[in-house]
Amino acid sequence: MDFELSPDQSAILEAVGALLDRHAGPARAIELAPKGDYDHALSQALDDAGFTAIARADEAGALEAALVVEAVARSCGVMSAGAEILVAPMVCGRNLPGPIALALAGSDVPVRYGAHARTLLVSDGEEARIVSLEPGHVQAVESNFGYPMGRVAAPPGAGESLGPGSGPALRSWWRLAIAAEAVGTMGAALDVTLDYVKRRRQFGRAIGSFQAVQHRLAQCAVWKEGSRWLTYEAAFHGAPPEGAATAAAHAVDAARRVFNETHQFTGAMGFTREHDLHAWSMRLWALRLELDGAAGQRRAAARSRWVGAS
Amino acid sequence: MEFDWSPEERRFREELRAFLEAELPDDWGAIAKDGPGSDAQAAFSREFCPRLAERGWLTQNWPAEYGGNDATAWCHAILGEEMWQCGEPRGAQYMNVNWIGPTIMQYGTEAQKAHHLPLISQGKVLWSQGFSEPEAGSDLVALRTLALRDGDDYVVNGSKIWTSYVNHAQYCFLLVRTDPESKRHRGISVLLCPTDLPGIEIREIPSVVGDRYFHEVFFDDVRVPVSCRLGPENEGWEVVAHALQYERVGAARYARAALSLDELARRAAERGLLADHSILERFGAARAVCEAARMLVYRVIDLRNQGSPPTADTNVARVAGTMAEQAVSELALEIFGPDALEYGSFADSHFRLAMTAGVAVGATEINLNLVASRFLGLPRE
Repeated sequence: MDFELSPDQSAILEAVGALLDRHAGPARAIELAPKGDYDHALSQALDDAGFTAIARADEAGALEAALVVEAVARSCGVMSAGAEILVAPMVCGRNLPGPIALALAGSDVPVRYGAHARTLLVSDGEEARIVSLEPGHVQAVESNFGYPMGRVAAPPGAGESLGPGSGPALRSWWRLAIAAEAVGTMGAALDVTLDYVKRRRQFGRAIGSFQAVQHRLAQCAVWKEGSRWLTYEAAFHGAPPEGAATAAAHAVDAARRVFNETHQFTGAMGFTREHDLHAWSMRLWALRLELDGAAGQRRAAARSRWVGAS
Repeated sequence: MEFDWSPEERRFREELRAFLEAELPDDWGAIAKDGPGSDAQAAFSREFCPRLAERGWLTQNWPAEYGGNDATAWCHAILGEEMWQCGEPRGAQYMNVNWIGPTIMQYGTEAQKAHHLPLISQGKVLWSQGFSEPEAGSDLVALRTLALRDGDDYVVNGSKIWTSYVNHAQYCFLLVRTDPESKRHRGISVLLCPTDLPGIEIREIPSVVGDRYFHEVFFDDVRVPVSCRLGPENEGWEVVAHALQYERVGAARYARAALSLDELARRAAERGLLADHSILERFGAARAVCEAARMLVYRVIDLRNQGSPPTADTNVARVAGTMAEQAVSELALEIFGPDALEYGSFADSHFRLAMTAGVAVGATEINLNLVASRFLGLPRE
């Protein structure tokens, strides 16, 4: 057991952090949001620097990929990082053309990056399928939840099957990606809120000095930190069904708390588009509702431990 | 980062499980049903701990010079997990090993080390913790029990409360005020106080947690030799702070919660309850909270293993552990329904131990205060 970043992991995070500082951030996300645009420039920059291939690189793997996905989420990147950097390489054994959307077969709910996706990864029971999308397959959906959303209408059974067993594997990696993105997003939402409550003064003192505020933010930190370590552990072990579902279940429950408390403590200012919080906070609910939602993650965690199927 | 057990650690866990399988009697469940402080478990620990010591496991994480094997903090964590999972056959002696012994190593005189550490490492002594007082609970530095110097003794007057295990203990790790003019953190000292001295009276406080769980200890002109003082006079708060950091995640209670949840799921499955989506969801949520607590405790163990000074990660882990215990115990009551109301039933036993989690070893609010100030950097005023 070793909970410290290795020198290689530190170097990866430093390099991706420098790149994200240049290409991403809440201002960029807020700039792209009104038209539901995708950040192709960010995606290209990560691609050029080799980060989208990190899951299968020598001396790296799923844990490093999860760390990069978390970092992109923390920087509010508007690209399908979880699907491109973590899910597709681990499930398909290769990188797929992005943007990539993830969907359950037979479902026509709005999915993240659906309107921009060139590739759709479909979880269809026991198998996963890769579908190359045509422009006619996708339709943008207006959404307030921080990601460009869209409906994807691929023909039933279309695309390349990855064979029996690939369906559960896709769902596990997808859950891990949700957890990693939630951890990065929660971390940033909490940071911006902590900064606010340290500076905002009422009744002659910083509102962050009131115990009623402190305890609730401290509880958020406990939930977020637990989610973070569960995510890293599940990534290290290759997204086992139980570990991935447990990390996702905890992370999306943490996300609900972090959403509520960060908005509570930033007051009316936190609801405005001039404050950065919404760029992260609204995404937390999108993550919480994905892949059968929070209830689905909890059921998957319980089934994989005690019933024997995910 | 890497999250695998080493081959040595895996082997150790297997050997430990085999040892427990062989050593725990058939009626262990009955012995353990009232927790580590019960008469039955205290008596059992007096036989069990020396056997653990013979194998070199009781204080394996201590330095060899004090009767240990220099085992890693991870091996010690495995020991704690396996012990708590089966109901803590070490009884109250887990405290000796986790924080009383290490604190004596850090601050004790050579004579204190020579006397106390072998007793602990051989499993021959039980300790209790004399911290709380009627007017000093979470605000521990409000303590008033006075120890006034008189020649080679301190004369101790006052009382301690909620003192678990003191009915069986030979010693009490006692916090006293040695400077009567002092306030708050200053003027406090630690005494390694024998519990059989004249003037000490122990009374049980009946509680819903279980028999012999809480006690009040009265000190009436008790003469404690000055040689029993641990660390410098009037500067005992540093000693206490050191001890508390080890105490807060000393007991692997999350491991017991996780095992109880497994057992609960087994029983729920037998009754066909896991086919119910809403019940399955509650199990999943409780499992996630238990697993999060485990990882947060592991984070603290990792820091300890690296020799890092204690951080607020300890308080984060403690809060998470309490959440885990409460989630499992509430679920147990609801799954068993009215059957849980029978004293000593599976759900009742777990619930009684878990109900103290948010109060024992530092109230959740104190831990949250420390998370807010030290982990999040929020201002005090």
